[in-house]
Amino acid sequence: MDSALVIEIVDHHGRDPDRLMEIIRDLRLHQYDLPDPVIEQVAERLGLALDQVRAAAVAPILKKRGRPKGKKNKPKLISEPKPKVSVAPRVILRKRPKPEPSLETAAESRPPVPAEAEEPAPTPPAPPPATEEKIAPPAIAAVSEPPMPERRAEVDSTRRYPEMTEPKRSADPTVGPLLEKAKQDGAETAFDRAMEGQKAICQYGANGVCCRLCAMGPCRISLKEGKGAERGVCGATANTIAARNFCRMIAAGAAAHSDHARAVADTFILAAKGEIPGFQIKDEQKLYQLALDLGIAIGDRSVKEIAIEVGEKCLAEFGRQEGELLLVKRAPLKRQEIWRKLGMTPRGIDREVVEMMHRTHMGVDQDYRNLILQGSRTSLADGWGGSMISTELQDIMFGTPQPIASEINLGVLKADEVNIIVHGHEPLLSEMVVVASRDPELLAFAKEKGAKGINLAGICCTANEILMRHGIPIAGNFLQQELAIVTGAVDAMVVDVQCIMENLAEISKCYHTKLITTNYRAKIIGAEHIQFEEHDAINTAKKIVRTAIENYPRRDPKKVSIPQEKSDMVVGFSHETINYLLGGLFRASYRPLNDNIINGRIRGIAGVVGCNNVRTEHDSAHLAMIKELLKNDVIVLTTGCAAMACGKAGLLTPEAAKQYCGPGLAEVCETVGIPPVLHMGACVDNSRILIAATAVVKEGGLGDDISDLPAAGAAPEWMSEKAIAIGQYFVASGVFTVFGVTFPIMGAPQVRDHLFSELEGMVGGKWAFEPDPVKGAKLMIEHIDKKRKALGIDKARERVLYDMAMRREME
Amino acid sequence: MAEKWPTVTKDSFDGSKVEILGETYEPGKPGPEAPGLWRNKLQDRKQMLKYLETGLRYWYAKEGYGSEKRKNPA
Ligand code: SF4
Ligand code: SF4
Repeated sequence: MDSALVIEIVDHHGRDPDRLMEIIRDLRLHQYDLPDPVIEQVAERLGLALDQVRAAAVAPILKKRGRPKGKKNKPKLISEPKPKVSVAPRVILRKRPKPEPSLETAAESRPPVPAEAEEPAPTPPAPPPATEEKIAPPAIAAVSEPPMPERRAEVDSTRRYPEMTEPKRSADPTVGPLLEKAKQDGAETAFDRAMEGQKAICQYGANGVCCRLCAMGPCRISLKEGKGAERGVCGATANTIAARNFCRMIAAGAAAHSDHARAVADTFILAAKGEIPGFQIKDEQKLYQLALDLGIAIGDRSVKEIAIEVGEKCLAEFGRQEGELLLVKRAPLKRQEIWRKLGMTPRGIDREVVEMMHRTHMGVDQDYRNLILQGSRTSLADGWGGSMISTELQDIMFGTPQPIASEINLGVLKADEVNIIVHGHEPLLSEMVVVASRDPELLAFAKEKGAKGINLAGICCTANEILMRHGIPIAGNFLQQELAIVTGAVDAMVVDVQCIMENLAEISKCYHTKLITTNYRAKIIGAEHIQFEEHDAINTAKKIVRTAIENYPRRDPKKVSIPQEKSDMVVGFSHETINYLLGGLFRASYRPLNDNIINGRIRGIAGVVGCNNVRTEHDSAHLAMIKELLKNDVIVLTTGCAAMACGKAGLLTPEAAKQYCGPGLAEVCETVGIPPVLHMGACVDNSRILIAATAVVKEGGLGDDISDLPAAGAAPEWMSEKAIAIGQYFVASGVFTVFGVTFPIMGAPQVRDHLFSELEGMVGGKWAFEPDPVKGAKLMIEHIDKKRKALGIDKARERVLYDMAMRREME
Repeated sequence: MAEKWPTVTKDSFDGSKVEILGETYEPGKPGPEAPGLWRNKLQDRKQMLKYLETGLRYWYAKEGYGSEKRKNPA
């Protein structure tokens, strides 16, 4: 971008520092990323600190316009230039927002409603301070922590949340070329839809202040204080509406994990009874472990007897009406006390989800704090209930993950073999597909059809499950599901539940790929349905593999383009394996980890998890955040699609320690022989992170509760309701948790205060929203340092070598 | 030893050069059935329960270690 144009744009806005966001927006119309020289010029011309402009340049901006093509297509600048104003710095946070005509017009045109008595009147903006102090723009300021009362007033006067900017597409080199190929093949992907049909994002929805819970609505609350509707038809405030929406997301996420767990428990009981060939009790030791947790006698009883009782007791947790979920007892004692005192301990998994749905029905719970309390309880029923049950039972049936090497990215597809992709979440069918793909008869059939073999690969969390237990390679994460088909080399994509894009059916039509749904709960129009029958699992799997083989000759070689890229990785770090690796079989222990945290070689622990989101550059935020954490000696635990992003970027190898870590963490990783980023599994396996954190607490020396640990969590590219449920159970378990991309309560100032600040006083954990991943990492590190300080381990202790004289003196 | 194992030269505390044992791992990539499958080492029920009491003592040992089992709780 040439300097003259930068000056022209800045001048057009009257060199007004208050118009920074508009200036940035206009500059961005010419270039997606603002390079440093442009930022420097803007800062200089507006008399603002470089950091402030940089923050604004990466923050989401308010209004999106089409990206002009070519230089001729200059942004349409406002016709009446503003008079030039003083360039004295102002506090941008306090500035009253400019009206958003496209949004407000709609809100204002609704029937007038009585003025709201409950919410505080907007506080007039404070006069700009005479000092040089500058505060970051709203999106960034959401995570800053001034004292509550003032902040609430400020938030009230800026009740809006900026729109997302046009994202770059991906940090993964396979994505760009495949999107080009898709265009040539006439195939449309999520990347196209996000930038075309779904480009405009409804700000009411994004900010959580749209309610459609009853037929008197939909109601939308104004995003601008004092202008437009302050209440829904029934009188619901922005806070009630946003809290209800948020809690419904938690309920949906918890239901998804838990219904998955229920299916696993059902299958587990059948397997224990020996009624379904192919499934068995593979990890006997884990069975005993769970039996002890559930209070089941072991003695001389047979494995079958114990397993049946374990399965039935787990299944009963879903319908439990009173008392406490049994696995809650695994949490640190202090944590259990906190939950009990707050009335947050989950009673039964289904009960909490149903109660949450009831309380968010029109006209029931209308106190945002009370709603979020039940939201926490519901999320705990997921993290310490449904998710944990599915992890444990899957481990018993299929094996507890142990370190295993494999490969990741679309380069794992093979040009001369039948490629089958399993995608979704439940490992029940995919485990059987693994067995079927090695069946000699089917391998012979594949050869008969001209293929050299059968190549199985995974996408999303099903991929993580079979990767960790069998080393089956991963083709890609969430945003690569359509692109796998675009390679033209996938003969069948087999899906079960969750995170499956409906467009797979459409995009398959452009190629020869067979999309096969397998679960009665998740059908897609246009797909072939082969129902997975537990009682005949292996034959269902064989039928699927056979269908893929039969489809192989239909592959059009002209349409095949498999990317070269694939990376090595080592995965399978269940909490049991970490414990073993740190101490060996006879002295397994978290002690070395605790000691290295105490002595400062490891600064802290971070859990970076979650999805991909097409509204932000694919994989980029995961990688930027994790690299920043590693550089600062923070060890990273990861699951889900975040783990896959790490795998593709080479972070899941022990060699990554040398390349990316600070000296302390690198030394520890090298000594133990582990990667600095530990792949702990699928999204339901976030429960493994809870247990690992508990083990660190119980080992001693780092406080008595998860909230005492120098640890933090994040989901920088989240998109699913499950991610919100996970985030909430991390927060309710005492973890500071940062989410990126967007956050669905930003239009509700009091809910925002509650989640971002007040909760910390109650449960020890809190939320933060920060779209910039490096800033997000810095917030996590700040939190880790705060905890180190509270533990008294913030200063590196001087090491003294005692000679004999000094020793004698001590005695 | 120097013939058998690789060595590297590093600076000692006093600034002199010392030769120490270098990387001893075998080059190459482990296969999917790599050693690391530590759970197979636990053979019978007795061993498995014993491991729970020692390795996972935080939860399964009656008398044990850890911050929550100390005499004077924080
Ligand atoms: S519940 Fe209230 S706010 Fe929601 S749609 Fe109905 S009337 Fe509107
Ligand atoms: S991390 Fe998110 S996108 Fe990926 S599989 Fe899990 S829920 Fe789906």
